[in-house]
Amino acid sequence: MRAAKHSITRRLIFSVLVLELLAGVALIGAVAVNEWRVQYKAFDANLRATSNALLGAVQEDLNDAVRLDWTEALPKDSVLRVTDEHGRVLGSEGNVPTLQVQPNTFQAATVNGRSYRFFTRAGEKIIDPDQSGGIRHRITIVYGLPDGHVRREVLEAIRFFVACTAILLGITSLLLGWLVRRLLNPIHTLANAASEITSTHWHFEPPSSASKFAELSPLTSALEKTIGRLHRAFEQQKRFTSDAAHELKTDLAIVKSSLQLLSMKTRTVAEYESGLAIGLDDLTRLERTVQKMLTLARLEQREGAGNQMCRIDEALRVAVEQALPLANLRSNSITISTLPPAIVPLDSGDATLLCSNIILNALQHSPEHGSVEITAMAQEQQMQLFIRDHGEGIKENEGLSLFEPFYRGDPSRSRKSGGTGLGLSICRAICDRVGGSISIANHADGGAIVTVTLPTSTDFESARTRDLFQALT
Amino acid sequence: MRLLLVEDEHRLAENIAEALREAGFAVDHAADGPSGSHLAEQNVFDAVILDLMLPGKSGQQVLHDLRARKLHTPVLILTAQEGKESVVELLNKGADDYLAKPFDLGELIARVKALIRRSKGAATPILKISDVEVDTIQQTVRRRGHVIDLSPTEFRILEYLAHRPKMIVSKREMLEHLYDLGWEHHSNVIEAHVSNLRKKLNLVNTEPLIETLRQRGYRLRGEEV
Repeated sequence: MRAAKHSITRRLIFSVLVLELLAGVALIGAVAVNEWRVQYKAFDANLRATSNALLGAVQEDLNDAVRLDWTEALPKDSVLRVTDEHGRVLGSEGNVPTLQVQPNTFQAATVNGRSYRFFTRAGEKIIDPDQSGGIRHRITIVYGLPDGHVRREVLEAIRFFVACTAILLGITSLLLGWLVRRLLNPIHTLANAASEITSTHWHFEPPSSASKFAELSPLTSALEKTIGRLHRAFEQQKRFTSDAAHELKTDLAIVKSSLQLLSMKTRTVAEYESGLAIGLDDLTRLERTVQKMLTLARLEQREGAGNQMCRIDEALRVAVEQALPLANLRSNSITISTLPPAIVPLDSGDATLLCSNIILNALQHSPEHGSVEITAMAQEQQMQLFIRDHGEGIKENEGLSLFEPFYRGDPSRSRKSGGTGLGLSICRAICDRVGGSISIANHADGGAIVTVTLPTSTDFESARTRDLFQALT
Repeated sequence: MRLLLVEDEHRLAENIAEALREAGFAVDHAADGPSGSHLAEQNVFDAVILDLMLPGKSGQQVLHDLRARKLHTPVLILTAQEGKESVVELLNKGADDYLAKPFDLGELIARVKALIRRSKGAATPILKISDVEVDTIQQTVRRRGHVIDLSPTEFRILEYLAHRPKMIVSKREMLEHLYDLGWEHHSNVIEAHVSNLRKKLNLVNTEPLIETLRQRGYRLRGEEV
C-alpha cells in the first residue's frame, strides 16, 4: 500500500486506539479521585482516632486540673498539641503551626517544609462527675500527621494504571493490526479474483469468503454483474468485428477472383466487357456492405441525436415508393391501411432508411404474390408502426438475434437474398437513438410482424414543429 | 483431375469453378454442407476445396465426416475467419492445406495441383514415364524431347494415367475423375480420346505407351525414371 493513500486499516486502528486512550484517561481520572478519597478517608479516620485516644488520655491532675497521660508511642513524625480552656499546653509534640481553630475539622499546613494534615478535636473532660456535675475542662487537641505518603500512594496508583493502560494500548494496537488485516482479507481476496479478469479470461468466481460477509455481498454481486455486462459487450464487439471481417473478406474475394479470372488468359473484347461489368457488380456489393457498416457506426454514436424533426408518415410513403419496383418484380403488393400524420425526432433520411429497411426485409421474406401490410397508430406521446409480411415467420427465440449485426438465421439466406445482414441492426440503432424500440414477432395468422415504437414530438413551441404542422393543414 | 468445390457464396464459387476449369480440372460445385458432404463421400474427387461457413452443415463437420469414413481425398480449406487456432485445429483434423480469403486464384490452382501431386506420390510437377515427360504446370507433353500437342481432355487422361504408372485404370474410374456432373457419361468417349492419345504418342521407333486390357481398362507401360 502506498503511503500517499489513506488506509482503512490505519484509520480503524487509530480510531480504536484513540477511543481506548480516552477510556483509559477517564478510568485513570476516576481511579485517582476514588483513590484520593479512600486514602484520605482512612488517613482522616486515623487522625480522628488518635485525637480521640489523646482526649481519652487527658487525666485528672492535682487541683482539679488536667494533664495528658500518654505513654504509648505515637506514629512517626506526629505533631500534636493538647491545650485546655486556659490555653495551657497539656502536652505537645513537634512544631505545631498556628491554625485557625475550628473544632472537628481537618486542615492542611506545612511543618518544617513538609505537608501535614491536622485534625482539631475539641472535647470536654469532666472531672469528678459525682460531685455536682463535676468540673468541666474544654480540651482542644490539634493533631497532625504528614500526608505526603497519601499523595504518593495516589500518584503510585495513577502511575500503575497509566502503565497498565499503556501496555494494553500497545498489545491492542498489535492485535488490532493483525485482526483488522485478517478481517479485511476477504476484500483482498475478492480484489485478487477480480483482477484476474482479462479480455481472454472472463471467468469470475467470487471467493467463498466474499459471499460469507453481508458487507461484501453487494460488492461481489455488483462485480459479477459488471463483469458479466462487460463480457457480453466485449463478445458482441468481437463477434461484430469478426463477422464484419468475414463479410468484407468474402466480398473482396469475389472482386479479386473476378478480376483474376479475367486475367488468366487472353480473352475476346466481349469477354473482357462482360467480365468488367461483373467485376463492377461485385464491387458495388462490397461498397454497399461498407456503406451500411459506416451508417451503423454513425447511428450508434450517441452524439448528434436530437434537434431533428420529420414527418414519419411522409418518410414511410417515400420508402414505399422506393420499394415498389422490387415489390413489382416479385408480384408483391404493399398496402397502407391507416397512416396518421406524426412528427418524430428523427432526421428525414434516417426515418426513410428505417422504413425502407423494414419494408425491404418484409419483401425479402414474402412469397411471390404476397403482400406487405402497413398500419400506424398515433398515441399521446408516441406512435406505433406495424409492418406485416406473409412469409415463413421467424424461428422461436430468434426475435432479438435478428437485430444483431450480420445475424443469419439460415446462414445461406441473407447473402443469397442480397442482404448484408445489417438492415435490421441499422433499424434498431435508429430507434435506440431517439428512445424508441423495434421488435419482431410472428403474426397469429402467419408471417412476421415488425412493431416500431417512436416518440412523437408535441413541442409546438419549436419553430420546426410548427412549420411541419402548418404543412399538415 | 476432378475437383469438388463446396462454397455457398454463389459468385465466388462461379469464379473459382471457372478458373479451375480453365486450368484443366473437372469441377463439381456444392452450395451447402449436406450436398458437399454427400458428393465428397462418393470418393471420385482428386481434391476437395471446402469453405468453412456453410449452410446446413459446417465445413469442419464435412471434413470430420469425410475423414471418419477413412477417405483420404486431399482437402483444401477456404476460410475468411480470423485466428491461427482454427487453422491449426483444421490441419490437425485432417485438412491438407488452407487459404485465407481473399486469396489469389493462381495460388489456389497451384496449391490444388500440389495437393493432388503429393496425394498421388509425385514430388515434382513434371511426371516422367519411360521416355515421356508430362508437365502438370505448363500442361505440356514431350516424348524424347518432341513436344506432343494434346487436347485438354487427352492431356487430362494422360496426366491421370501418369499418376498411376503400371496400374490398371478402369474406364469407369477415368470417367469419374475426369468429368464433372455436367457431362454425359459415356465410356466410348474415353475410348475415343485414348485412341487419339495413343496415336499422338506413337512416334517412330517407340514402344506403344498405353496398353489396353480388355474388360479391365488401361495401363501405362514402361519404367518410371
